[in-house]
Amino acid sequence: MAADHSRNEGDMIGRALPRKEDDPLLRGLGSFIDDIQEPAGTLHAVFVMSTHAHARIVEIDVSEAIRLEGVVAIYTGKELAGRIKPITSDIVQPGYQPVKRQVLATDRVRFVGEAVAVVIAENRYLAEDAAELVRVDYEELLPLIDVDQAVQADAPKLHDETTGNVLFQASFRTPRFDEVFASADHVVRDSFQSHRLAVTAMEPRGCLAVYQRRNDNLTLWTSTQIPHIVRTAISNLLDWDETRLRVIAPDVGGAFGGKCSVYPEELLVSFLARELNAPVKWICDRREDLMTTTQGREYRFDVALAFRKDGTLLGALAKIDCNIGAYPSFPLGASVEAGGAAIYLPGTYRMPEYAYETRAITTTTCPSGVYRGVAAPVASLATETLMDRAARELGLDPAEIRRKNVLVASDLPYTNAVGARYLTGSFDTCLERALAAANYAEVRRKQSGDRLRDGKLHGIGIASVLEHTGQGTLRYRQRGIVYVPGFDGAQVKVEPNGRAIAWVSQCTQGQGHLTAFAQIVAQELGISIDEVTVIEGDTGFGPYGTGTFASRGAVIAGGATLRASTRVAEKIRRIAAHILKVNASDLKLSNGRVYASGETSMSIREVAAVAHSMDARALPDGESFGLEATDYYDPQVAPTSNAAHIAQVSIDPATGLVTIESYVVAHDCGRVINPLIVEGQIHGGIVQGLSSVLSEALRYDQNGQPITVSLMDYLLSTSVDCPDMTVLHEETWSPGTAGGFKGVGEGGVIGALPAIANAVADALVPFDAKINRLPLLPHVIVELMRSSSGLPGGHESTALGERNRLHDSVAVREEHAQSHECIS
Amino acid sequence: MAPTRHKIELTVNGERLQRHVEPRLLLSDFLRYELRLTGTHVGCAHGVCGACTVSINGSTARSCLTFAVQMDGAVIETVESLAPRGPLSALQQAFHEHHALQCGFCTPGFLMSARELLARDPDPSEESIRMALRGNLCRCTGYVNIVRAVRAAAAKLKGEGGTHGS
Repeated sequence: MAADHSRNEGDMIGRALPRKEDDPLLRGLGSFIDDIQEPAGTLHAVFVMSTHAHARIVEIDVSEAIRLEGVVAIYTGKELAGRIKPITSDIVQPGYQPVKRQVLATDRVRFVGEAVAVVIAENRYLAEDAAELVRVDYEELLPLIDVDQAVQADAPKLHDETTGNVLFQASFRTPRFDEVFASADHVVRDSFQSHRLAVTAMEPRGCLAVYQRRNDNLTLWTSTQIPHIVRTAISNLLDWDETRLRVIAPDVGGAFGGKCSVYPEELLVSFLARELNAPVKWICDRREDLMTTTQGREYRFDVALAFRKDGTLLGALAKIDCNIGAYPSFPLGASVEAGGAAIYLPGTYRMPEYAYETRAITTTTCPSGVYRGVAAPVASLATETLMDRAARELGLDPAEIRRKNVLVASDLPYTNAVGARYLTGSFDTCLERALAAANYAEVRRKQSGDRLRDGKLHGIGIASVLEHTGQGTLRYRQRGIVYVPGFDGAQVKVEPNGRAIAWVSQCTQGQGHLTAFAQIVAQELGISIDEVTVIEGDTGFGPYGTGTFASRGAVIAGGATLRASTRVAEKIRRIAAHILKVNASDLKLSNGRVYASGETSMSIREVAAVAHSMDARALPDGESFGLEATDYYDPQVAPTSNAAHIAQVSIDPATGLVTIESYVVAHDCGRVINPLIVEGQIHGGIVQGLSSVLSEALRYDQNGQPITVSLMDYLLSTSVDCPDMTVLHEETWSPGTAGGFKGVGEGGVIGALPAIANAVADALVPFDAKINRLPLLPHVIVELMRSSSGLPGGHESTALGERNRLHDSVAVREEHAQSHECIS
Repeated sequence: MAPTRHKIELTVNGERLQRHVEPRLLLSDFLRYELRLTGTHVGCAHGVCGACTVSINGSTARSCLTFAVQMDGAVIETVESLAPRGPLSALQQAFHEHHALQCGFCTPGFLMSARELLARDPDPSEESIRMALRGNLCRCTGYVNIVRAVRAAAAKLKGEGGTHGS
């Protein structure tokens, strides 16, 4: 694969161009869902949410609420059952049990926040007033908060149509697994519990439905990642001709997977607009968002890694339980996390033997869904944490054990134990570059035995990261996820004035598609990005497609844009060749012109005029009018990106507060379209990871009440919690994708969990602390230090006494550190 | 029974206005729905995320924690005031050049907070920038490029002898 990947002057792909989409956003002229000027007469919907985690609905009394001035209508689940079909992710896969979700609960509620009624009023304030007046009588049932409760033999069954509460299970074992594991020199194992997270896009969800009775047409603006899938779902579940539906994702204020499901609210608001013959709007507030938007990553990973004495990794054993909440999300279903968890675990190492058992378990908590990285960050946390422990136990440095096991050029292309193909990668190069940039050897050399310096414990942590990106139709078919097509499309069109417009089937939520895809079009057509307009997120234009999630934007929509652009460029060449009387293959497109060898050239604008019959010169015989092409893209192999992350942390031993001192990433996402955007994706991913390691956690009490329903309780990292970062780029183009692109959306978060957790564990080496659960809140760190064998025991002491003992311990350690310095 | 409305007179982005508002109308809703100044965003409605940050009488404040009826006599500036027409302000331009925004939902709040910082401290350290922006949440950028953009804007404004940070 010695292709020449050097850049040419004038190339648009690969340039760090500031984004085309910035200007209106900077001026306050963005058009997020609640910024859209709604038509006169728009009605506002507010949902009455269940106050119980698990209960039978005895009666809903709306009599007082409906009398309130300005209230137009109130609907309960019973009234709508049969008029809106239930949402069902009928994944076609062995071990899978489909579950039905009514858009409003009819007889039973299964999580706090589940909608039981919807109030429609003339404005939001009145609708909220009325919602408070709706009285719901419940008969409480036993809540099932965690997976252990839900799988008890006597646990109540959450869904009538299933057997038990395990909605999906699968297992796998390589043929030689038992033999190799039994004869391994060394096995490290632990049980890792990851905590539930709120996706928390800064813009909560929302939608606006505008209905036209004269032709039964509906336009739904919704803050989503998957407008085409939303449209198809509305068509199917409301029995509505798909050609009369148009779904538009306007500016979307972050999504990260939280807007990757079709939600009951989207179906209901669409239904209500037709039912009431009026525009209907619903805007989710933050409390509702923290209770109802799909949540992520509540898993238990019991993982064991087997090694030879010399540190060679032989295999992994994983038992994975995913708490998927009350209902599977749609369209990805109950198996997306449990299945992904198993597939993502092998990572960047030669790991011939692998066995897993994985389950998705339903509980009376908010439904889970995909969240940036899905199960990969926690899979990576488990394996990378155990790599470090194995290194320590085998007397190797954490860098050394990775050097020994990461895939190198001679291993590639590599097929991992579960059959995923890695065509290219720079695993060892990224590791070495990150180690060098972090001054790893020097940091280790300086690190005193007990890690204490300036009154703080210091640690450094490494993570070697694999990111499965750009998954196409095959992956979704294999996993039985039938409502996710897997391909995307683009229509590229040169207008008579020589400027290009591209309709792309995805939608951007901040990933810079309007710039990156314009760079692709501009590159192919030889024009500037100022002459290209990219339009996304509107099912009324351009081809059908899947949506923006799972790091598939650059690979699949970028690939479709490239293919459509190439076809337009070919037509430009054919027309110009005819006019210039040269061979089409001799023509080059650049600077807005078509050049033959020598002085001969014509402008693309002239070609466009000919193509639109606005020029005296005629098209070649048989050539059609217009200058446009539509194409689709479906990569045959999902490209894998890779990275090495190195975090350095300090810990205040008195308070347990962790500070990230520095962060280095060496990253390879194939051919880079725009380095500014790539770095932004990495920065953002790392901070979402950092935030989930150090502060974020959704909590439910024993009754299933969510107790983190504001941003005062659900703690997101702020500017003072985060470091500046160094990002180094490797570019190993993918030979398996159009353009050589690989995805980049999730690698940051996949690396951040283990890199930071390993750095904290490294700082706590003197305490022999084992990190196997998150978040690492200060009190957790203090607890890890207290429970270590290195500290005096005793359980009766007060918190103050505890702190004093820590101080004493630290003082002793400081003396040690000083004496070490004297000796050296 | 229709709620009582109270008369307020205020100046928003340089324009003097007179309106009648319900006592419970939030300033954020007043700006967004009554004046159609939708650049001020509401990300939490409980005063944590900072997306609704505006300037009231020269100091930044949360418009989601303020009632419109309290604003009688106030001078309010929103993100729309930073570059009403023509080129972007130095701060906005720095955000653009340094890729300091991704989805852009939180950006108006960051711009308003950063503008106040630069007006107060024309040469802020990285630490003081991070402190000044700690009341604004962003989920896309990891704050890296936002901090870099504010530093760059400060340097540019200093070079130009500017003092307003806008």
